[in-house]
Amino acid sequence: MFDKITEKMLSAVQKPGRYTGGEQGAVVKDKSSVDIRYAFCFPDTYEIGMSHLGLKIIYGLVNDRDDAACERVFAPWIDMEEQLKKYDVPLFTLESMDPVRDFDMVGFTLQYEMSYTNMLNMLSLSKIPLRASERESLTPMIVAGGPCVCNSEPVADFVDLCMLGEGEEVTNDLIDLLKEHKKKGSAKAEFLREAAKIDGIYVPSLYDVEYNDDGTVKSITAKDGAPSVVKKRIVSDLDSAYFPASTIVPSIEVVHDRTTTEIFRGCIRGCRFCQAGFLYRPIRDKSPEVIDRQCRAISDSSGYDEISLCSLSASDYSRMRELIERLISWTDDEKINVALPSLRADNFPKELMEKLAGVRRSSLTFAPEAGTQRLRDAINKNVTEEEVLHTARQSFEGGWNAVKLYFMIGLPTETEEDVKGIAHLAQKVVDEFYKNPDKPKGKSVTVSVSTASFVPKPFTPFQWEPQNSKAMIEEKQELLRNEITTRKVSLSCHNSELSRLEAVFARGDRRLGKVLETAFKKGCRFDGWDDMFRYDLWQEAFDECSVSMDFYANRAREYDEVLPWDHIDYGVSKSFLIRESEKARNSEASPNCREKCMGCTADKLNGGVCDARCKTVD
Amino acid sequence: MRDVRLWIKKEGRAKYISHLDMNRCFTRAVRRAGINIWYTEGFNPHPYLNFLTPLSLGQESDGEPLDIRIMDDMQNDEITQRMNGVLPEGISVAVTSDCISKCADIAFARYTLVLDFEDEAKAQSFTNEARQAVNDGKLFAEKVGKKGRNKTVKQIDICAHIKEFDIKTDGETAVIDTVLSSGNDNLNPTLLVSALNGVIFKEELLHIRRKGFFKSDMTEWR
Ligand code: SF4
Repeated sequence: MFDKITEKMLSAVQKPGRYTGGEQGAVVKDKSSVDIRYAFCFPDTYEIGMSHLGLKIIYGLVNDRDDAACERVFAPWIDMEEQLKKYDVPLFTLESMDPVRDFDMVGFTLQYEMSYTNMLNMLSLSKIPLRASERESLTPMIVAGGPCVCNSEPVADFVDLCMLGEGEEVTNDLIDLLKEHKKKGSAKAEFLREAAKIDGIYVPSLYDVEYNDDGTVKSITAKDGAPSVVKKRIVSDLDSAYFPASTIVPSIEVVHDRTTTEIFRGCIRGCRFCQAGFLYRPIRDKSPEVIDRQCRAISDSSGYDEISLCSLSASDYSRMRELIERLISWTDDEKINVALPSLRADNFPKELMEKLAGVRRSSLTFAPEAGTQRLRDAINKNVTEEEVLHTARQSFEGGWNAVKLYFMIGLPTETEEDVKGIAHLAQKVVDEFYKNPDKPKGKSVTVSVSTASFVPKPFTPFQWEPQNSKAMIEEKQELLRNEITTRKVSLSCHNSELSRLEAVFARGDRRLGKVLETAFKKGCRFDGWDDMFRYDLWQEAFDECSVSMDFYANRAREYDEVLPWDHIDYGVSKSFLIRESEKARNSEASPNCREKCMGCTADKLNGGVCDARCKTVD
Repeated sequence: MRDVRLWIKKEGRAKYISHLDMNRCFTRAVRRAGINIWYTEGFNPHPYLNFLTPLSLGQESDGEPLDIRIMDDMQNDEITQRMNGVLPEGISVAVTSDCISKCADIAFARYTLVLDFEDEAKAQSFTNEARQAVNDGKLFAEKVGKKGRNKTVKQIDICAHIKEFDIKTDGETAVIDTVLSSGNDNLNPTLLVSALNGVIFKEELLHIRRKGFFKSDMTEWR
């Protein structure tokens, strides 16, 4: 079935199953029977990409059309990259094993900044010219989506267009348009001008960016009839939005391998550092009947024995009781576990928890994010120390003796006290263990503290904030390490160099395109993988391009500075973000969206409807 | 409740699914097929599936025995039919039978090995020399293993594990039809090939397909 060269390549790599496709549920169409072939590229390994719900939704949606086919491509691991180069074989899809460059549309989902080099590598291995300006024909049309395109400026040189927001509807609109223009034999420029008229489609080449002498953006000007501001697309009603009735069941082990469905979109919490909490607004609930039906269909067709209800904060789902009762009415009999991955242990009714007999947790995790109440208020993480200690106490009584605590270092307004506070909170958790009169004899407690460096992101109230310099972060890490006096608390600190690059690219502009290309040519890829990350090469790339990382990462921006993403609208208004930013500077928390609407204006995207309002939690 | 034996054909894309992943695949396939299978008891019950004979990554098979225990009286043919509707490309159930032979009675397995060469001349000289080497009975391979913390290297007398051996040239390929020890004293056919490579030269590409199993008296293992 494979030709000789493919067999040779596959037998030379460690995990050939990443490239062979053929899984249950994979769709292989006859290419002559469709008008548009879409290569959906996930710029990371098969195991990570196949764990992604969005991929499965778009795959089903496109393949449900008679006139289009969607095939998958993942970033080949280093060993496969070597083979492709050795035999001079262009990157191919899993389904037909046809070269990616033969497809009409090639779409990348950009889930994290550190996958940008993988996108370039995949284009290059496909033998597709990297820069949009070097590609003259209509196809392959290179498109991008995913949360990172809320500021796609750093990749603006490489992609032809971006789909902003939720893909369920806009993907179909785009395929329809491309089909029409392919038939007509339109020029690429003509197609792009028309595409820019679709809501949610951003065509970077139709915008001119000018810069001030100090390096900041002076203006962003739309041309050729493109809208001056591009709004993200949302689906208004999740119950009627497309959801596949069956899914691909990977044949090799992947990270998350189970029935997954969303229970609601958006988050009511408004933690000020969390981009997802703002990007996915307004809040839209899915009804228990629909979730139940979708879980049933996927479980039956896949044979999975676990269901994962996904959302940004599962315990905030308004009809959880009803949902769980529906689910366990059949999952128990069929030996299916129900898991709630984003559960906040602090506000979930214990008896509901007990109903989920199948919920297994290997260790207990909390994310207080900051060490003092003052800083938690400033970042709007509404967890109190008492809540953390209370839950820790309960779990120690329940026989646990290991707790993981997640924090961030370098948050806006952070002081020495806040950093030391992390150690103090960890110590108090240790103390709780020893207060428990029934603690298991001879057993000790371990509290693992893990810190990440804060990365300021667009469309959050912290989008104007500087990131701490590498030296400052390291100083704070040292301060924290010295404040920990017991061996019962262990500390691990996230790589601050990686966070620094994330900060640069998250809020970058088009001038980063050449840095990205230079770094890629030096061999940077799989930057998100610890053992692959080469900060030295990145530094060289910035130096050679005379671009300063500090300018992007460590500079405080004024509210009136033109931001590189000012022509992009994700629903949350700038004045709302400024209000929240000011409150943060005053260490003042905001109520959550169910308690009180803070007027973020994202509801306007949905005709004024936001499900967080006027609803009571049952 | 009864035990049945599914004979799993594995070829094409599916040969790149590892032994461990086969288990995962079938756990789900059995559920999709709606076959009422026995679950192990205990804290974390899971469906009981027993692949009797591990097959290396990249090798094909006409029939790998998989024993399962079903909880109702579904007929063998229906099991075959249902399973074949839900399996990934390249995997199928050739037939479902009762569990006739005992696992411990597996003594030999038959393989077809196809070795690709650059040209016909190379294939021809490989064929001749391989035939000679097996006739001479002097073929050894090294098997790297582990004993506690230490790496061990075991010399394996390949010919002692060869029951039957036949080789012929077919264009640019050499085709070997061989019966090797299996079961407890299993010899992976790749070891035979690497021993041959040691005395001759390396093939370009190797295809291995397992054709069936035998008891020690060379009667069919079923
Ligand atoms: S519209 Fe109001 S309730 Fe809805 S997400 Fe925005 S702030 Fe929250």
